[in-house]
Amino acid sequence: MRRWPVAVVALASGRAAADPLQLRADALATTAAPAGLVTLEAIGDAGPGLSAEAVVWTGSASDQGRTDVLVMALRARTAGGRLAGRLGRFVETLGALRPIQIDGAAARARAPLGIDVEAYAGVPVTDGLATPRAWDWAAGGRIARTIGEVGSIGVAYAQQRDDGRLASEELGVDAGAALSQRDDASAKLAYDLANPGIAEVSVSASHRGRAVRTELYLSDRAASHLLPATSLFTVLGDVPAQHGGAVATWRAAPRLDVIADLGARRVDREIDPAIALRARLRLDDLGTSSLTAELRRDGAGTDTWTGARGAARIALPCSLAVTTELELVIADHDRGLGRVWPWGLAALAWDRGGWQAAIAVEGSASPEDRRRVDVLGQLGRRWGTP
Amino acid sequence: MTRTAIALTCLLLAACAGVLGLSRGGPQPFPHRAHATAGVACTRCHAGLDASPGALHIPDDAACATCHPKPHDARPCLSCHAAAGALAELAEARDHLVFDHQQHTAPTRGDCMRCHTGIAEGDDHLRPPMATCFRCHAHDAARDARRCEACHRGLMETQLLPESHLAHDGDWMREHGARAASSGDLCQTCHREAFCADCHGKTVPALPATRRFADPFAASVHRAGFTARHALEARAQPGACATCHAPARCVACHTSRGITGDGRRSPHPPGWVGPAAADNEHGRQARRDPAACASCHDGAGQALCVGCHKVGGVGGTPHPPGWSSKLPLAALPCRLCHPVGRAP
Repeated sequence: MRRWPVAVVALASGRAAADPLQLRADALATTAAPAGLVTLEAIGDAGPGLSAEAVVWTGSASDQGRTDVLVMALRARTAGGRLAGRLGRFVETLGALRPIQIDGAAARARAPLGIDVEAYAGVPVTDGLATPRAWDWAAGGRIARTIGEVGSIGVAYAQQRDDGRLASEELGVDAGAALSQRDDASAKLAYDLANPGIAEVSVSASHRGRAVRTELYLSDRAASHLLPATSLFTVLGDVPAQHGGAVATWRAAPRLDVIADLGARRVDREIDPAIALRARLRLDDLGTSSLTAELRRDGAGTDTWTGARGAARIALPCSLAVTTELELVIADHDRGLGRVWPWGLAALAWDRGGWQAAIAVEGSASPEDRRRVDVLGQLGRRWGTP
Repeated sequence: MTRTAIALTCLLLAACAGVLGLSRGGPQPFPHRAHATAGVACTRCHAGLDASPGALHIPDDAACATCHPKPHDARPCLSCHAAAGALAELAEARDHLVFDHQQHTAPTRGDCMRCHTGIAEGDDHLRPPMATCFRCHAHDAARDARRCEACHRGLMETQLLPESHLAHDGDWMREHGARAASSGDLCQTCHREAFCADCHGKTVPALPATRRFADPFAASVHRAGFTARHALEARAQPGACATCHAPARCVACHTSRGITGDGRRSPHPPGWVGPAAADNEHGRQARRDPAACASCHDGAGQALCVGCHKVGGVGGTPHPPGWSSKLPLAALPCRLCHPVGRAP
């Protein structure tokens, strides 16, 4: 039952694979799981109205091998853009509702008066190429209307059934507005209809100045409403967690960006800071060599922590580049798992023509491993437009 | 002390001015302003605007030599008198924009600065912003229908970032969720299916941070040492994991890694479950983050809970005051505690 979209798209993509055809193959090997991974990607554009895309992979971790499809989709659109559709395996995002990966179909129609209607139906994707359950399905729709040239507002509804049982039924409301050339605002709200209550709210508003962009954000999430409705843990009530704050992105110098994120988290009755300071310095005008540094203070209750991260990418002659990334996390409380967790990676990359290759050494200490060193290798080849 | 600090700061800035891009030791933007004020018409140097739409119309050394017959350097003029990346930016514009100078010279009466507004101020970016096009062209229908290909060629390959609306600045990884809700179709004009699926797909083999390990600036969730801090991040954001991962994901991974599973001791601290109210920390924690409980106890593990939390059981009702559900008692999970036909 779940294989039919794959077959249809495989046939259709052959027809869509006219120029430009892009192919890509990547192989990743690491001493940590997954031990090996091969990814094949193909994109075919048959003009502006029809395209096909597929990403398949095979990998092995320890003694287990697996092959799966990440994306296999055919996209079609009428010349005027009034109608658009997708068929196959893809991620569907319907307004304020959570993204869902399905094997199915989705369509969008632009009606007069600035009204958009979109809908999808299909089988929710689970790990592996097949599922033993016969009555898994998901369907949803959204209707949206543009508000002049300012923005749009939309209402979405989706229902998901797992093995015939109601797993999720949500109503979403989203709105976005470009209030001026410099001001944006957007909001979304997801309401759980199975166990009535607000599942998730997210609000963001930004102002873009000449050198500084500021953003105010707020989110509210109730974990019990994000679980499948069949879970016993959905009956425990609404104890939402909130996260709010402001972000300022400052172009301090032509090559230097400084980002400050000053926020707070509230979980149950506890309020804790969530602060991040970042800087990125481009070492040349095109940014081929860059440095970044970040300081963070985050967590909630007895799970607060402080962290620092630094990364660098230095371009070398002969299409080579050396990169390094370092992170140090210090937990406030020792739970018998240690408090200081460093992580580091150093890599040498080569990118020339259609070829890409990289090798890296990764070292870390974590609650799981007192110390660990892994080696990673990657080889990629592109054909067609990169 | 303050003077010393100011002096040190100035000294540091001066020392780093080149790195920060505050001073330029390399190629300089072309002095368009000087030429314009000297009365040099744009088309005198940028010849052929009316004839060859596919060309860049960049003047060569011979064009410069008509006024500057004695070059002060043997190198090509534009190797120094053009901002770094400016020529590459123009070539990219020619390849990816549906545009023809020929059609614009007559309507603008040869006034190039009607579109290239910043050029006289030494703007490095010779390509006008999109808003400039919209001053004259009513592309509302194409814009509303997301028919970007009317002006842009190969938008998915150019990797341009929006300059004004939906600017991918700050913490875009967090922000994109709220923005994409009402602009999903706009996102699809630049991003292919795999871009979303790389993080939101259930069949992701490895996240971008792993697959592109040699690029520390690649956008990705769970980067760097996330494995070490994931428990802290999960507890600080109840439900965040459940927005992408199935509840069973935690126990599946922990079991495969031998962290939890059969025969291992309980991960819960003393006082987690007990006869006295003070010994029932699990209730408070479960309300705070039920997704964390579900990550181990969902499915068959729910029997552990309903052993006490059932009608007439010692655990009492787990429902908070005013709780309601539209599910029938015969449906899961109600029937675990409420046998069909029996009043709650």
